[in-house]
Amino acid sequence: MTEYTEYNDTPVKLFLYPSILFMVVGMTFGVYIAFNGFIFPDYFSGEYIHFGRIRPVHVGTVTLLWLLSADLALFYYFIPRLCGVPLWSPNMAYAASAFWWVGLLIGVYSYPWGTNFGWEYAELPNSVAGIPVKPMIFIGWFLTVINLFMTIASRKYEKMYVSLWYAMGTMIWTTFTLFVGSYAINWVPGGISRVNTSFFYVHNLVGLIYTPMGLATAYYFLPKLANAPIYSHRLSMIGFWAIAFVYAWIGAHHILHGPMSQWLQTTAIVFSIWLFIPVWTVVANLGYTLHGHWSAFNQNAAIRFLMMGNLFYLLTCVQGPLMALRNVSEITSKTDWIIGHSHISLYATFTFFAIAGIYQAIPVITKKPLWSTTLANWHFSLNLLGSIPFIAALWVGGFWQGMLWSTWADGNTYAEFHNNLTVLPFLDTIAEMRIWWILRAIGGMIILFANILFVINIFNTIVLKTVPKKATIPA
Amino acid sequence: MSEDHKDNFFHRIEKSAIVTFIGIVILFSVSVAIVLIAPRHLDPSWTQPTSSYQVQMYEIMDPNFYISSSPHSSYNLQTVYHLTADYTLLGFFDSDTFKILAPPELEKYINKEKETNIKLTPRLLLLRNPEGPYAEQAQNYRERLQKEWEQKHPKWLDEGLVKPDFEIWELYAPEGKEAFALAPPDSMVENWIDKDYQIIDVNEKKQHHADNGVIYVNNPLEYRITHYTFGTEEGWRYDPKGKPIQSLEELKGHQLGFRSRQEFIKLGEHIYAIEGCWYCHTDQTRTLVQDVVLNGSDSYPAPPSSANEYIYQEITFPGTRRIGPDMSRVGVKRPSRDWHKAHFWSPKTASKGSIMPSFRHFFDFDPRGTSQTLPGIPNYRFEAIFQYLMTKGTRITPPTEAWWLGKDPIKTKEIIEGQRKLK
Repeated sequence: MTEYTEYNDTPVKLFLYPSILFMVVGMTFGVYIAFNGFIFPDYFSGEYIHFGRIRPVHVGTVTLLWLLSADLALFYYFIPRLCGVPLWSPNMAYAASAFWWVGLLIGVYSYPWGTNFGWEYAELPNSVAGIPVKPMIFIGWFLTVINLFMTIASRKYEKMYVSLWYAMGTMIWTTFTLFVGSYAINWVPGGISRVNTSFFYVHNLVGLIYTPMGLATAYYFLPKLANAPIYSHRLSMIGFWAIAFVYAWIGAHHILHGPMSQWLQTTAIVFSIWLFIPVWTVVANLGYTLHGHWSAFNQNAAIRFLMMGNLFYLLTCVQGPLMALRNVSEITSKTDWIIGHSHISLYATFTFFAIAGIYQAIPVITKKPLWSTTLANWHFSLNLLGSIPFIAALWVGGFWQGMLWSTWADGNTYAEFHNNLTVLPFLDTIAEMRIWWILRAIGGMIILFANILFVINIFNTIVLKTVPKKATIPA
Repeated sequence: MSEDHKDNFFHRIEKSAIVTFIGIVILFSVSVAIVLIAPRHLDPSWTQPTSSYQVQMYEIMDPNFYISSSPHSSYNLQTVYHLTADYTLLGFFDSDTFKILAPPELEKYINKEKETNIKLTPRLLLLRNPEGPYAEQAQNYRERLQKEWEQKHPKWLDEGLVKPDFEIWELYAPEGKEAFALAPPDSMVENWIDKDYQIIDVNEKKQHHADNGVIYVNNPLEYRITHYTFGTEEGWRYDPKGKPIQSLEELKGHQLGFRSRQEFIKLGEHIYAIEGCWYCHTDQTRTLVQDVVLNGSDSYPAPPSSANEYIYQEITFPGTRRIGPDMSRVGVKRPSRDWHKAHFWSPKTASKGSIMPSFRHFFDFDPRGTSQTLPGIPNYRFEAIFQYLMTKGTRITPPTEAWWLGKDPIKTKEIIEGQRKLK
């Protein structure tokens, strides 16, 4: 950007460095439950370490402590740069990071001691041993939002780049969504009203937090990394407004065939199909941006992460609307397919985007070149290698389980249906999953190893003073 | 965007953070109003109960059904009804082996055998071990009944018959506004009556008395206990000849340790949340053949879950993943406390092939020290999760219209067999 504006990158570091560490911690929990939950079920047995209490720790660590924090760090990084002015108040950002990390750390790691709030993705308790963790996280969030909005308000460039739009959208939607999922859910009547609210929250968390955050970073970092302008500004804006219009409607597609009003299910399905619009605009826009610059793909691991993320984004968003169809949902819903879908979106898409952003941002904020590009190349290759067995296993296994369940519906009379269930009891459909779960665990271990390399690389970049021979300054 | 199009719509909003902000807020608000706020006003099943049985179970029986698993030093589950005058409905039934003695003014409350119109009353009455003049009367009555029975079955010894133990109880009106009666330990469903009954002697009419059916307490035997010491050990036990419980405070106190079923269900829901049961078990029978079959009984499919089944829950766990079987009909499919005891202790041995973790923290160490490899004593956490699970699928309709008896009101079986079309 501009040479003469001095950016204070300490807030970026305060959010970014811990989050990178937590990515590996969260993935370690993931590998642990892949083994202790599925391959050797309950091998390590006990009140505080069984599957049900560790799973939310894995999810909380990778979603909140890693991805959301890393994306926030990247916001702190690119929003001032896109506005051409320094961050509105660095002190406010320091306070925000203090509230944020203390609240999240205590909140997420208290789950094994029985503090789970009980709603999906909203497991954070209001307080732990008198420490008001949820309010602390909210304070951290509000301080960040105010700070970034004020930065945007005081911007030097009148015209806003698309990443700023997405950032603004994220901050408005997320503030509301977090509040709904954490507090307002208790104000609606018990039962399905709360379930509906919960799924509104669950879907918006992915759709209106991680998606616009991820896309904002992708839109900012791809042109930076590839040194090419964005293909179409207007296309990106059509995508943005389509997301703004469509996303909030589709929460009910999580409970198709369930105890939810049919008209609401149908509404959710219709809007889910419309999701194709924002997705295709993004995918096309990012793809065309690299058009004519594909040599950069070979030269830079960060671009590979971004473009693979883009490809996975296409995959996940082809899946999403299709899974929202009643007949597809009949097979895929409640199976490992769903777990595969959530991993491809939060891991293979948005984690890839965030990693690409980090690779671009780290040399800038440390003012040192990346310690090892070789390691970065390995990081990408192993991540891709690990994610394919990981995701494919969950898809194939999940689909297979759904097909097995559907065999119970073969026949014409209840006696026949019931007989199917004695031929293939529920537990047999679990036994069928074992091979896929083993494959998933292998993929997970490769991913974990790859990201340990990433942590080493980033750590050395930050800490080592000397510049190794092989290092090059990224474009 | 080229310079020629400076006036177009996109170009203008592009420059204004305020317009962007307002646009986002408006779009978002419209969707929130329609998908979050409207549905519960448009669809009555989101807030209206499934049946008056469901209401009475949650609102009248659960808060007044007390459970204790902590008599000192020995595991012996105790269950007690908390009866309140002018509130709890009682029914007294005389039968072949169960006889009720009553002063003349209370005779009218007793339903003799073969009586068609059942009489229930909100008056606070209790059955106790015959006292005073009734003690002798009861003794004579029992002897007379046994003699009559022997005359009826002269060769009972040769035929290997067992002489019935005639139970004789005295009906009396206790002082005060509340009392405690012995309750059956495993009551998945309560006594329910919805035709041929009348409520007599009503002082003040309570709302539930006017429902199209009522839950009542059948033959309430006064809950009396005896305190004992055995060596250094102090304990208490149920004893029909002991002392009545004086108050709710005594019942819920440290020594007796009773808690209401409502408290257990609430705690069970909390345990279900914190243990993460809901990451593996769904709690919804979907409108799919495979689901109604999976949750069905041997003869009848389970009706799909409806929105109003969940209205009494603080947290609802419809679930997104089914690694273990669905929970929405577990109260009917697995009503046995012993089954759950064995299963929570060691799921892998109780159901072969299960990958469920064991929940040994639902059990306390067995102080009798028989063996550590056998299940320990279920503690309050087991009781809570058990009571919570037993609500699932059992409270949709009154027991007289229960789906597991083939009286499913939405006719799931006909629908899945194609004999009835959905409207």
